[in-house]
Amino acid sequence: MRWLACELHTHTVHSDGRQTLQELGNGAARLGFDCLALTDHNTMSGLADKQIVEQSAGIFILPGMEWTTFHGHMVTIGLDDYVDWREAQPANIHDGVAAVHRHGGLAGLAHPFRIGSPACTGCYWEYAVQDWNDFDYIEVWSGTFAPIKTDNSRAFSLWTDKLNEGHRIAATSGRDWHEQADTEEPISVTYLGVKNETTIDTEQAVAALRQGRVSVTIGPLVNLEVISAAQVYGLGSIVPAGEGAVTAQVSIDCTVRSGLWALPHPDYHLILISNKGVIADYPLGSSDGLLELQAELPRDGLIWMRAELRGIVRGIRTMVAFTNPVYFE
Amino acid sequence: MFIDIKSAVNPNHSQSHIRYSFPLDRPVKALYLYFEYEPKLLDDNAQGRKLLEQSLERYVLPEQKELALSGIDRYLPLSNLITISVDDPNEYRGACHRHDSIQQLFLSESAASPGLLPGEIITGTWTITLSLHSIVTGSCTYHLKAWAEEEEAI
Repeated sequence: MRWLACELHTHTVHSDGRQTLQELGNGAARLGFDCLALTDHNTMSGLADKQIVEQSAGIFILPGMEWTTFHGHMVTIGLDDYVDWREAQPANIHDGVAAVHRHGGLAGLAHPFRIGSPACTGCYWEYAVQDWNDFDYIEVWSGTFAPIKTDNSRAFSLWTDKLNEGHRIAATSGRDWHEQADTEEPISVTYLGVKNETTIDTEQAVAALRQGRVSVTIGPLVNLEVISAAQVYGLGSIVPAGEGAVTAQVSIDCTVRSGLWALPHPDYHLILISNKGVIADYPLGSSDGLLELQAELPRDGLIWMRAELRGIVRGIRTMVAFTNPVYFE
Repeated sequence: MFIDIKSAVNPNHSQSHIRYSFPLDRPVKALYLYFEYEPKLLDDNAQGRKLLEQSLERYVLPEQKELALSGIDRYLPLSNLITISVDDPNEYRGACHRHDSIQQLFLSESAASPGLLPGEIITGTWTITLSLHSIVTGSCTYHLKAWAEEEEAI
């Protein structure tokens, strides 16, 4: 499994960004990203420069578009053609999602709790959702220093609520990146787990996000596997009901994007959390290498479990990273 | 000139689309659009604060309202936002979702303004859509023009 460092929410001069795709690609590559999704507002015209920027910046570009509608912003990724955003009404968003899926794309809620009209029309998600399984992901971390932001906490809680209700839905970060301005704030990375170690393509990245092989962080890459006597279940996998005793194995890799982030004296805690609450809480202190942990799992009533890495960032104890869940039948 | 329209909208038109169609009965080299609206800003910040306070009732949890109110001025001045998108007789030709209140745009076979897709300027019915994301001023006037650059005579 190769973990692609992705930035999944970006804008250029083709909408209201103040950067060309070349500037965006160069900037993302400098920050150690392998892949970015171009999600301009209501247009895909910026993709005309995709190949030339991929080659010169050394980064893979996923096609996308942010539906910038009156009642919610919806990020769409991986689709092969434009889908009309202007028919979206408060009660019919599932029609739009279905059309995105027909074109091979994925649909996610963008920053669902950012203040809406008149500060930012559509920034707050107001679409009626009949079936949460219809959505592929929720962008739970928006912007820089995402884990401390109130709007993101609400989005994260929404995601957890939906997991508790039994839905299987991924969670991502997105900077909503509009310009090449330096920031001192921690930058989020969404890692997508792809099976091909050597080449990157849209199909693989879309499959990773659709299946929940996703880990989000402002620093170390956290991975979680559930291991039985017969098999290893990675992020997004479903452990069958008939499976016997299982163990959780967590790895925390502090060497990713080396030199491009720093969390001094983080006093990490690794938490395994599920629909049954906290399963385990390991104080890890501060580390800059690769850590591995194992824990026996109670299966009774378990429907999902994820790993969360918490620590001290800029003097604030907060979440540093989280995996997407492993699910249990 | 295919379209030359001046009109006005008000806050009741927020979150709606206005569409203008015109027939193109001959091939042309390029299609040009001019779009302008004013005012851009709601200068009355007291009114802006009032509108924001109302919106916080809807968008912020009660326990976070005080904090949100204390930071309300970062959203001021409030602004109108109208964006423009283009459809040719067969397909979507893109959108220009940006905050500029004056936009001069073009489409041709080989090039187009950022946000729009280059391609043949085919005959048939073209549609310009104005998307009124937010109108916060009592009135907002706009001017939309569409015209063509003719093919050079052979």
